[in-house]
Amino acid sequence: MATQTPLPDIISDLLGVGGFLGDAVSMLVAAALVGTIMLTMTAFAGPWAKRKITAAFTDRISVNRVGPWGLGTIVVDSVRLLSKELVIPEGVDRPAYDLAPIVLAGSALFAFAVIPMGNGIQLADPEVGLVFVFAIASIASLGLIMGGYASNNKYSLLGGLRAVAQNIAYEIPLVLTAASVVLFTGTLQLSEIVAIQQNTTLATIAGVRIPAWFAFVNPFAFVLFVVANLAEVGRNPFDTPEAPTEIVAGYQTEYSSAYFVLFYLGEFIHIFLGGAIIATLFLGGPGGPFLPGFVWFTIKIWAVYFFTQWCRSAIPRVRIDQLIGIGWKGLLVLSFANLVLTATALGVTGL
Amino acid sequence: MSTQQEDDTPDVDDAAPATPASGSPAALEALIEDHVLEREDHLNAPGFVIRADAVQDVLSTLKTEAGFDHLSCVTAEEHEDRFESIYHLRKYDDPTQEVSIIVPTSRDNPVSETAEPVFRTADWHEREAYDLVGVEYDDHPNLERILLPDTWQGHPLGLDYNQNKPQIVTFDEHKNPLEGHEQAADDSDTMFLNIGPHHPATHGVLHVETVLDGEQVADVNPDIGYLHRCEEQMAQKGTYRHQIMPYPDRWDYGPGGILNEWAYARTAEDLADIDVPEYAQILRTMGGELCRIACHMLALGTFCLDIYGDFTAIFMYAMRDREVVQNILEDLTGQRMMLNYLRLGGVVWDIPEPRAEFFESVRDFLDELPERLDEYSDLITSNEIFQARTVNTGVLDYETAKDYGVTGPVARGSGVDYDVRRDDPYGYYPELDWDVVTEDGGDNYSRLLVRMEEVEQSARIIEQCVDLLEGWPEDERDIQANVPRTLKPEAGTETYRTVEGAKGELGVYIRADGTEKPGRFKIRSPCFSNLSALKEMSTGEYIPDLVATLGSLDVILGEVDR
Repeated sequence: MATQTPLPDIISDLLGVGGFLGDAVSMLVAAALVGTIMLTMTAFAGPWAKRKITAAFTDRISVNRVGPWGLGTIVVDSVRLLSKELVIPEGVDRPAYDLAPIVLAGSALFAFAVIPMGNGIQLADPEVGLVFVFAIASIASLGLIMGGYASNNKYSLLGGLRAVAQNIAYEIPLVLTAASVVLFTGTLQLSEIVAIQQNTTLATIAGVRIPAWFAFVNPFAFVLFVVANLAEVGRNPFDTPEAPTEIVAGYQTEYSSAYFVLFYLGEFIHIFLGGAIIATLFLGGPGGPFLPGFVWFTIKIWAVYFFTQWCRSAIPRVRIDQLIGIGWKGLLVLSFANLVLTATALGVTGL
Repeated sequence: MSTQQEDDTPDVDDAAPATPASGSPAALEALIEDHVLEREDHLNAPGFVIRADAVQDVLSTLKTEAGFDHLSCVTAEEHEDRFESIYHLRKYDDPTQEVSIIVPTSRDNPVSETAEPVFRTADWHEREAYDLVGVEYDDHPNLERILLPDTWQGHPLGLDYNQNKPQIVTFDEHKNPLEGHEQAADDSDTMFLNIGPHHPATHGVLHVETVLDGEQVADVNPDIGYLHRCEEQMAQKGTYRHQIMPYPDRWDYGPGGILNEWAYARTAEDLADIDVPEYAQILRTMGGELCRIACHMLALGTFCLDIYGDFTAIFMYAMRDREVVQNILEDLTGQRMMLNYLRLGGVVWDIPEPRAEFFESVRDFLDELPERLDEYSDLITSNEIFQARTVNTGVLDYETAKDYGVTGPVARGSGVDYDVRRDDPYGYYPELDWDVVTEDGGDNYSRLLVRMEEVEQSARIIEQCVDLLEGWPEDERDIQANVPRTLKPEAGTETYRTVEGAKGELGVYIRADGTEKPGRFKIRSPCFSNLSALKEMSTGEYIPDLVATLGSLDVILGEVDR
């Protein structure tokens, strides 16, 4: 899986346009394409797959009235949510209240710009791709605190504060664990990280080549990353910022209609972003046998999504102090240990 | 033969050895004779009329020297010439030993000493008496209305209350109902938070006024009354024989239907001296335990809802299993929630035909149940995160539990070995083989364990009942005793009887006034007392633990507010 031409270049070649204007047009088209892909996935995940998966875990049938397998629900729900009245409570801090949903949804979507999705679908491939992804994804915390604070609601405030405390506590283990992958690859460029995983052979069993996906090379780091990622995207057992039974959906309590949809979207795009980072760093990105790269990529991020829904159905929520404790006393220490051990192992073996 | 009538005619005990601890009336009278004005026995207990300024003296003497450590209920009522507060005392060790302390006060100046320093549970009970009847309690720490809004005028169970007079709430004084409820007093380090009346975790319309210090709870004050439906007054307007029985279904709609109806049935049958045929007792016992399983499944599911988040596996599993019980109850009674199955002197009808089919569905459920409970154990009680969340949170210690009059699974989770089914036997329970479950932890986890094990015990009881019912001789299937069409118990007879509801000791006090309707009908709700202990359990803990504690108390607001 060699480094491919970024998507805008492919498009400008296809359209046969050049120059500044042509580049701009092809970039916009490419961005629209990637955005559409992710939003389509979110549309499937939010109103439909989430219900179906949760229903399967709890012995229910779930949506099945509109369209085949209830898929028409996606349209119905979109219309329903968007046609609701936008209620803006008294005393909200207007610019912040309006910006928060956009910041949340936008930041998660923005980070997909550098994710290699296979079949050349990648908007840009900067040398610091990994840093870019984490930097952009962290902006979401800003959106959460903005929403929580600007809502002028005590529950929202508690939710916003929880969200920030949680994101700070789990961002560090997340980045440290990612750094242990960087030690292997020696590069921050995402396409390179994928290529190295895919092109290195871990073992050959009965003639089948097993690629050196970092989930296989360092399962410990993989588990750490998946756990920290659960906290990052705020799913059980770490869904304390929302915690409907405690603080009534936290930062999003006061949001309705289109704003709520943006929050909801942002949350799901965030889960997919987490899945994309896991896939890229640990599961060989779009790599896989037989099927096209993009299909593999989709399968991998949906697998991560499925995992988050599984946790949501089956695992209790930890308390906020326990959550912070696990983050600072547990995951941080473990991720440092992982980093040092990986560095030592690499130094000793001279890989 | 098991009958509803037990041995509590007090004059029998008069001959017993006269030690106060044995609870003999003569000894008790000797103990508090300085304060006793006269004897006024109730059907269930000896009653002593005392002076209104000696309440604390008498109650603390009875508590420390005669062992009456359970203030089960406080009933207030208004007579033509006086107000009366009745303190129904009993012992946690032996609830058949009871005593009623009657405190009359004049109608002009209905002030009586508070019992709150002796029994913490009197706090809420006396507030209710003040709210509904209008008796005032001297030195009470917080004598405010509890069920009705603060702006209410008059006391609805008083004699001169005019129902037709509109409640006028002046706008100027009350234009902002939240005034004074927004901030904690002059303390900038804390935040006042209203949890409820509409909140996903309050299990109904409960309003918890909370003061937060960061995420920690500095103070809580449950504000109840949003679901007050005048159940006592409605019962006072219904005839004993037919019109009261449907109301109890509306108290604990968990559905504790048959358990609630039994509380009324037991009291009324005691009052009117009705025997219940043995076959009907078995039907009652089986139905009651089915209700208990349904209630505990709901408690378990909603408790997990509080800890896991919305619509998680365990909640749906518990609801699914409760659904099976409800189907059985529907077969038996014809209804899913408002069962209305009991009648004075028996039950309304026999097992539905074909009987074999009904018994088979019950047995199928019982056969599946152990597997289900194992699944619950795997999913919740043996889950480490769950344990981290529940063990040592919401702790209610043994003494505090008793002080607050806590009963039922909550008390048994705190090591109080008290179960009315065993200690004050009724129905067919004494003939059956089952155990009372207790745990010593006093925390949320213990309360959950108690409920899960009680489900097993209930299943044992049901199985034995089904065996008995199947083999019962065809010609002895009496489902009802011969009860007169109109019941008019003698004027002035009073009794207070309790049963073990799903949430604890559910009691009914009735004073007959010689008509076919009760003169005073008072409900002792276990949830009411249990909820009053919330403050003790959750102060100093985190909000999630407050929510979990509320869930583990398993309050049904319909029963709290009545």
